[in-house]
Amino acid sequence: MSVTVYSTTTCPWCVKAKDYLKSKGIEFNDINVSLDPRAAQEMIEKSGQRGVPVLDINGNIVVGFDKPQIDKLLGL
Amino acid sequence: MDKEIKNVDLLIIGGGPAGLTAAIYAARAKLNMVLLENQITGGQVRNSYTIENYPGFKTIEGSALADLMIEQAKDLGATIDEFDQIIGVKLTDQEKTVETQSYIYKPKAIIIATGASPRKLPIPNEDKYSGRGVHYCAVCDGAVYEGSVIGVVGGGNSALEEALFLTRFASKVIMIRRYDYFKGEKATLEEVERNPKIEIMYNWDLVNVEGENFVNKAIVKNTITGEEKDLELDAVFGYIGNVPKTELFREYIKLNENGYIITDENMQTNIKGVYAAGDVREKVYRQITTAVADGTIAALAAEKFIVESSRK
Repeated sequence: MSVTVYSTTTCPWCVKAKDYLKSKGIEFNDINVSLDPRAAQEMIEKSGQRGVPVLDINGNIVVGFDKPQIDKLLGL
Repeated sequence: MDKEIKNVDLLIIGGGPAGLTAAIYAARAKLNMVLLENQITGGQVRNSYTIENYPGFKTIEGSALADLMIEQAKDLGATIDEFDQIIGVKLTDQEKTVETQSYIYKPKAIIIATGASPRKLPIPNEDKYSGRGVHYCAVCDGAVYEGSVIGVVGGGNSALEEALFLTRFASKVIMIRRYDYFKGEKATLEEVERNPKIEIMYNWDLVNVEGENFVNKAIVKNTITGEEKDLELDAVFGYIGNVPKTELFREYIKLNENGYIITDENMQTNIKGVYAAGDVREKVYRQITTAVADGTIAALAAEKFIVESSRK
């Protein structure tokens, strides 16, 4: 299980997505794309768009806090 | 597997200033309560970059004010669930049921504080470019447009304030206003007029936006001469009012013709024990302060109702 969250410093939905993962005890890589341009580019390539948050759950990309999709991919 | 049934005193639906104030009062009254929020706790207030007319704070960021309210509610023992979603309700004088994805709530009283969401720009390409040049929240999305030309549509406080906020990113902000005056506070309008990055286009209406993957131009029409022209820009932010979030309750709760909830002056709706507070209510003026006032009254009225019904 490998989970990465791409977010920016000021994005409330990013906070919500990360809080949700924490509430379910899921560990994740927390990448701030507003501080890391290389990571920003990686996120844009993986997701085909510029919005945050973007979640990479075992290679599956979720754009935004799409709880049903996240639950499905995490087997919750 | 059957869903767990939760019997609570008070269910607050919506976690903006109205709902949070109700939660503070409910917690202090030691009611067994839950506040449900399906988006971001803090509500619309979080989308205002600067607030300068909330008494007690000469100036405060919307996010900061929201966080203070949330912290206060939580410290008092309020339960806030941000991860659930309501899928159906059944509301009568005698019995209230709110089913979510995870539970079935059976509260003695309910406060509906669901607020409103931004009215979408009435242009043909709105859906096509939503999030890709068409936006409604400068705090959320403005940063992406560093060095760009940004259009702002609207005539009230929000349009003026957010235009000022956007100048920290934009190379230029164009206000597209269909009348020859603004409805917002004079103090803010003067700040806008003084700002060298902001151009005001009076008597122009936004007709559409166009582009490739993202917006690259707006088509505007003069409301007096009918002349149409193109504006080269990268984004348009709409601040043209709000639409109440009341679809869920339509079957049971009396709404006015614009979808706002009708209440008496104690926030009571047509159903006993169901109250409404904040922007979702039928009213003339919608401010943070009025939402907070509504939340207070709704919580006190709900508490009285709960106590009286348990005496029967």
